[in-house]
Amino acid sequence: MKRKNLVLGALLAAALGGACTAAAAKGDVIGVSWSNFQEERWKRDEAALKAAIEAAGDRYVSADAQGSNEKQLADIDALLTKGAKVLIVLAMDAQAVLPGVNAARQAGVPVLAYDRLIQDPSVLYLSFDNAEVGRIQARAVLAAKPRGNYVFIKGSPTDSNADVIHAGQLEVLKPAIASGAVKVVGEQYTDGWSPELAQRNMEQLLTRNANKVDAVVASNDGTAGGAIAALRAQNLTGIAVSGQDADIAALNRVARGEQTVTVWKDSRELGRTAGRFAVLLAEHTKPAAIPGAQVWSGGSKKLPIETVFLKPVAVTRDQLKLVIDAGWASKAQVCAGVAAASAPPACK
Amino acid sequence: MTPRAPMRSRLDRLGFDARFGALVAALALIWLALAWATDGVFLSPRNLYNLSIQTCVTAIAACGMVYLIVARQIDLSVGSLMAFTGMLVAWTQTNWLGSAGAMGWLVSIGVGLLAGLIVGAFQGWWVAYRGVPAFVVTLAGYLMWRGAAFLVADGQTLAPLADAYQRLGGGQDGSLGPAWSWGLGVAGVAALAAQTVAKRRSRARYGARLAPLWADALKLAVSGGALLAFVAVVCAYPDPGSDAGAGKGLGLPVLVLLVVALWLDVVARRTRFGRHVWALGGNPEAALLAGLPTRRLLLQLFMLMGGLSAVAAVITTARLGSGTHSIGQMAELYVIAATVIGGTSLSGGSGSIAGAIVGALLIQTLDNGMVLLDVASAKRQIFIGMILIAAVWFDGLYNRGARR
Amino acid sequence: MSDVRTPLVEVRGVSKRFGGLQAVDAVDCTLFEGEVVGLLGHNGAGKSTLIKLLSGVYPVDAGEIRVRGVAQRFASPRDARAAGIETIHQTLALAENLDAPSNLFLGRELRTRWGTLDTDRMEHEARQVIARLNPNFTDLRKPVSAMSGGQRQTVAIARALYFDARILIMDEPCAALGPAETRMVLDTIQRLKREGIGIFLISHDMPDVFEVCDRATVMKGGAVVDTVNIPEVTPEDLLGMIILGRKRGSAA
Repeated sequence: MKRKNLVLGALLAAALGGACTAAAAKGDVIGVSWSNFQEERWKRDEAALKAAIEAAGDRYVSADAQGSNEKQLADIDALLTKGAKVLIVLAMDAQAVLPGVNAARQAGVPVLAYDRLIQDPSVLYLSFDNAEVGRIQARAVLAAKPRGNYVFIKGSPTDSNADVIHAGQLEVLKPAIASGAVKVVGEQYTDGWSPELAQRNMEQLLTRNANKVDAVVASNDGTAGGAIAALRAQNLTGIAVSGQDADIAALNRVARGEQTVTVWKDSRELGRTAGRFAVLLAEHTKPAAIPGAQVWSGGSKKLPIETVFLKPVAVTRDQLKLVIDAGWASKAQVCAGVAAASAPPACK
Repeated sequence: MTPRAPMRSRLDRLGFDARFGALVAALALIWLALAWATDGVFLSPRNLYNLSIQTCVTAIAACGMVYLIVARQIDLSVGSLMAFTGMLVAWTQTNWLGSAGAMGWLVSIGVGLLAGLIVGAFQGWWVAYRGVPAFVVTLAGYLMWRGAAFLVADGQTLAPLADAYQRLGGGQDGSLGPAWSWGLGVAGVAALAAQTVAKRRSRARYGARLAPLWADALKLAVSGGALLAFVAVVCAYPDPGSDAGAGKGLGLPVLVLLVVALWLDVVARRTRFGRHVWALGGNPEAALLAGLPTRRLLLQLFMLMGGLSAVAAVITTARLGSGTHSIGQMAELYVIAATVIGGTSLSGGSGSIAGAIVGALLIQTLDNGMVLLDVASAKRQIFIGMILIAAVWFDGLYNRGARR
Repeated sequence: MSDVRTPLVEVRGVSKRFGGLQAVDAVDCTLFEGEVVGLLGHNGAGKSTLIKLLSGVYPVDAGEIRVRGVAQRFASPRDARAAGIETIHQTLALAENLDAPSNLFLGRELRTRWGTLDTDRMEHEARQVIARLNPNFTDLRKPVSAMSGGQRQTVAIARALYFDARILIMDEPCAALGPAETRMVLDTIQRLKREGIGIFLISHDMPDVFEVCDRATVMKGGAVVDTVNIPEVTPEDLLGMIILGRKRGSAA
């Protein structure tokens, strides 16, 4: 009996304490629904996002759906209940998240679709131009190897971005494929963007083509790493390979000449911009009035959506200095183990 | 392997395990079918070498899973534990000891193994001494160790790893070469022969019933022949890294698998520990009444699994050349599937290490062959799932017909 | 039969409680060499728990167990076996997936000089013990799951005999057996009696009890009703004691 009273008392105190801090905070609550926080890059996004929101005097509240659509919907409900004035949503699935978006709209809460598309005309979509990512990858590989046998190591079949990136790659490569300069000798999706799986698939593709592969268009750095491991086992490192995310291991590979290009999407900039836009949206600015917003209908359903695209940046050997100067990676990390003779300019 | 039921008693007297034979026959059929469909590419030395390397990770973990499932337990955290221990190994190399140090990577392996054993002990303690079902404890582990793997490097991929360490992945310089491979092959056949002779002599000494000489000789010829054929095939694959085109030989991961499999097979069939594990799975009450240290056995089994997960992680990270926190996704399911396809019964009490390895080989064969045939990953998964159901159904038929 | 020798087993005031249930309540009983003492009582009378106390599965809460006059404390089944007590449980406690020699030596396996299991020697030894009990049982390599009830019983008894038990506890050995196999078990019990082994026998079968038992201890509700000499009572007397707890006449 006594124990029960103690517990009740503690709960009450906690609730009061919570209410007090809530009442003491100035500014609006900005809710962020992450799809799966456990992927490499989102930590940087969060740091920038949080900083921008708090600089404007607002409060950052978040939830992690851990890869589940159902949980994301529950998270959105919870964030709305906590009084979010704006929702920033990194959608697990562009379609499955719609009930949450509808709930937000009914509550009069504007939604910012972060990095991943949400198929709804009322949202503000902020992303790096993923088609441009694909184009950058293809351009760099094509420049390194204008003629030859190409292999596509694509992303996860359940991630809509994977197809957008691939479409961008094909856009650039279409004339070369049509003219026969480039021959596609293999392509495979990679479940979960898993590097292990990419390695196994690459091994099999190399076997099938008796090593006659001249370039690998890989859609991100993880899968590029797996493909390069397979190439290394066959003594084929150095052929053109693309990637995305500018993760430290990939930057190092670019410095060593094992990878041709990676695409840098400064997620700090994405987070910062999202934070800024969220503050504006909370002050009742309409999506169309957001600086840089334009109507874009490139999604699979061709819905017209207000969109701001940030430009991704190509990082090849010669451009490594960019990421080092921007503080994204240190020179030591990028240049680890690079032989002095063949070092890129940034490592000299 | 424990004797099977009366229906197969004639084969038993000859010393043949019918179920294992059926499994190998199924594998052979699939290999022939794939060879035909890929115009022989599937059976090329290169592809068979790759297949052997690709199978190792699942097979090594499956050896431990056999023990667990025999003892009526399960471990769903294998993949997540692989990621966690793999990240620790990579972190030790990149952030602590530096990948250039000669001893650095050896110590990193030690770190990974230790972590695997500790996690195994932790999970085993809850199961053995607190009575929490293994399914629940290891399901929690599945979530926890994946999160822990992320936290090791804040989600970053850790690279590069020591060159010497990466040899353990079977890639560049990652194999024994023809001389050592043949040496091991011949030594292996000699050991098999010696073992057969010793067994016959021991039986004769006690006047026990001997299998006919021709049966033992045939078994020896088949297993010895298979071993030598495998060595021949992997030596026929010219090493891409050698200018002279010398054969690759046995990959280092395969060597690790052989050591692990041999060790665990001997323990299972020839030591008290193995006998006690099998008894525990056959009748936990009998084990208790016989005074067996059942709780300690369970703890040790989970520690074994933890250690093997770490070994699997070492091979995966060495092969990949980096530590990522996403390795081992879904690995536990493939490991369990391999074990069950290999003849280990989910109700406990019977299992075979050799079967589990062939089971892993079967699953990897399907994956390997289907990519050669350009089949999409979704279809591959459906196919493998169907094979799993077929294998367990077949097992049920076999056992039902054998029971009195 | 009754004299002032030291009893093989002496149970003095032994009690065991499980939560709210007093399973065994200050039980006294004795067992001398070369005799069979029946432990009788209906289900829930405490017989099985008493057996488990004697075989070391549970520790006693109160009272003591003396073997050949020496007080014992059993912390595990191993301790009981070390004191010379072998138990054949109602469920036989055999691992279905293992064969006869493996079960016989479970927990006490014979090893070669390299530390591996000496399966051939174990089979040889098992064969000798089992031949004494059941000469027709020759295929020792098949698993228990493939054995008949009588063969399983043989393995369980062989296990007890191999390790030179002088005290045997048998919990309903004939319950699941047919007439021929029951005969075999009863003959074995007689033979063991003649060899000087003391046996506690739990049985519900009156004819069996009257055939092999010398004395009987009847329990009800965890306590002893009475201990009687079999020649001095009738089945009706025993039933009365079991069902009604009605005492009768002198004990040994």
